[in-house]
Amino acid sequence: MGAQTAVKTVAGTELDLVTLGATQWINDLSNRGIFTTNTALVICSWNAWLVANTGLAADCAIGRSLFDLFPSIRDRGFDRYYREALGGESRILSESLHKYLIPIAIKGVAGGVEMSQSTRIGPIRSGDAIVGTVTAIDDVTERVVMERELRSRIAALDRARLIAEENSRLKDEFLATLSHEIRTPLNAVLGWTRILRTQQHLKSRDHALDVIERNAASQLRLIEDLLDTARVISGKLRLEVRTVRFEDVVQAAIEVVTPAATAKGIPITTSVDVLPTVQGDADRLQQVVWNLLSNAVKFTARGGHINVSAATAGDSVVLTVRDTGEGIDREFLPYVFDRFRQADASTSRRQGGLGLGLALVRQLVELHGGTVTADSAGIDTGTIFTVRLPAGQSESPPKAPWARDGAVTIRGLSVLVVEDDRDGRAMLVTILKNYGARVRAVASAASALRILAGQRFKPDVLLSDIGLSGTDGLALIEQIRGAASARMRRLPAIAVTAYANPEDRDRALRAGFQAHLPKPIDAQVLIQLIDQLRPRLSAAVKRRRQTARVAT
Amino acid sequence: MLQLTDVQQDALIELLNIGFGRAAASLSQLTGHRVLLEVPEVSIHLVSEVAEALERVVRTDVASVHQIFSGPVAGDALLILDYQGASMLKELLTNEPALPLSIDTSAREVITEVGNILLNACLGTFGNLLQVQVSFSVPHLSLESVGAILESLRINRRGLEYALIVHAGFRLREAEVKGYLVIVLSVASLDRLIREVEEWEHRQR
Repeated sequence: MGAQTAVKTVAGTELDLVTLGATQWINDLSNRGIFTTNTALVICSWNAWLVANTGLAADCAIGRSLFDLFPSIRDRGFDRYYREALGGESRILSESLHKYLIPIAIKGVAGGVEMSQSTRIGPIRSGDAIVGTVTAIDDVTERVVMERELRSRIAALDRARLIAEENSRLKDEFLATLSHEIRTPLNAVLGWTRILRTQQHLKSRDHALDVIERNAASQLRLIEDLLDTARVISGKLRLEVRTVRFEDVVQAAIEVVTPAATAKGIPITTSVDVLPTVQGDADRLQQVVWNLLSNAVKFTARGGHINVSAATAGDSVVLTVRDTGEGIDREFLPYVFDRFRQADASTSRRQGGLGLGLALVRQLVELHGGTVTADSAGIDTGTIFTVRLPAGQSESPPKAPWARDGAVTIRGLSVLVVEDDRDGRAMLVTILKNYGARVRAVASAASALRILAGQRFKPDVLLSDIGLSGTDGLALIEQIRGAASARMRRLPAIAVTAYANPEDRDRALRAGFQAHLPKPIDAQVLIQLIDQLRPRLSAAVKRRRQTARVAT
Repeated sequence: MLQLTDVQQDALIELLNIGFGRAAASLSQLTGHRVLLEVPEVSIHLVSEVAEALERVVRTDVASVHQIFSGPVAGDALLILDYQGASMLKELLTNEPALPLSIDTSAREVITEVGNILLNACLGTFGNLLQVQVSFSVPHLSLESVGAILESLRINRRGLEYALIVHAGFRLREAEVKGYLVIVLSVASLDRLIREVEEWEHRQR
């Protein structure tokens, strides 16, 4: 630009005409709008691009005042660029700051979208005098669209990166919390165990045992939450879907948390309607309700109160857990169900926990085809959790497999225990003997097979660990089921194992166990389970037990 | 470096501030944000020293808006911004994130327009002062080092010996972007400018 093109004078008029013709030709070839005006801003030329794009023929434009033809130029204050051009200035009008100079509707786009334009306006000189203005307009619509797309893609990448960083930070925080949460109950367990060991005649022995039990239970809960979370993440969580009476689930969960609530002086009021059944995994649904309730107990101060209601709404069963606790900051509300998120992640926080409970609640509810929402008007205003589950058919559900009426007893039964862990073995023996069973306990599959082959101890039930060293429990049961002796083939067998996945359970049942009991063992459940296998016991055993009953 | 007297320096800054005021008003009107532009410092250098002087303050590649002005006073005018400043200015003015300048044509265009407004305003003010009509080429933006820009100036336009370096601060939406205005002049143009500036200063008293 501004290069001094030397033109030899031929003859003034001839040169002017040639230059004019050439300019017109070049203008019409140009892929941009070019028009000129005189100093009165009357249009003097109007190129082919403008004709094509504005639909205004050159004849119609030339001779018209620019601002009469396009009043919006003056209305939008762009007339001053023409005054400046007449004063000698060249101007660039960027698309970002001006959008367009001449309104040209984009073809095929409804709604009055104007072509994006980048414009240059400058003076036309003749010697020292300015004789008019020239305007060049570029259509940059495509470029603007491309840049907008690029910008939004980059913004999306940035957002993804931020989310990834945030997740990584949350995981770090979670690990710190996890270490702390795992250590805390262990400290209590180990501490009180040492006290028990050193002080033989401790008055507060019961208290110590309470503390140990409570802490062990809390750690078990924590590990179960962790395992559940891992299963959910890896997509391995399987529901054992049955027809479930939801009011039973709610009632069971309330019973579990009531002691903790009572201890804190928090009454739980309930209003549970007769509900249609839902299709779901009763244990998992109870876990949902339990988590919501224990959360409510945890965050409600003494003197507060919790209300649980369950009702039918359309095709859904709706559970509401409402507390008068500390509430949730509205800013945190969208994240309450996120894994590893805790409103207060500081080390000095008042509440323990891993921040997994509510994440599990959401995952479990969603696996059941339901939704869960949290609402709170803010700090100190309490919280309402609402779970909606699709209602199933209202047929009457089967009872839990080992829920039996009346007292349960295994008195007089002979039980063979196969467990290679000494403490685990001793515990099983203690429980079984406490309930009146006769027990033989061995550490290996080989010893178990020797006893079964012999005549001295004839077990009514076999309890076996799966993860035995040497021949494992699965191989053991396969050998037993394949044995020549009908008594062995029919021997009721329960797998007692730390392999607690549904897959493990399936494997155990397929191998030949009648039941699968995950560790740690709840004595009541074990005894009920053995009792439930009673119909399969031989007549001889029944007789023997009846004799035993008469004897007591 | 050619020393200006305090009086000359003050007068130049005052004049440039008038031009910057006009530019700021245009930018404010265009963007709907209050834009302030100030001239804290002016110095005169030999063209051969300009690269060195500027490289002390802008170390990265720069975006420069270049306009040639002609008339009784003639020369080259440049607005120089470092990449970061250019991107930031674009974001502040358009309220839209900038992409790397090498691919963001819109950002380059906005910077070109800002340079255009500023250079026109300053040189227009000089023109009014000297009561001459200065006319301008179409602005052109380039992305290269300060050294490369000045080298091409020296090769293409002989007779330009002095450069006015004007520090410029854009303030808008609680942020500040620093830029540099470089006006390259012949000895004759510079002499005339300084004489007129002094007389203008005299008339103001």
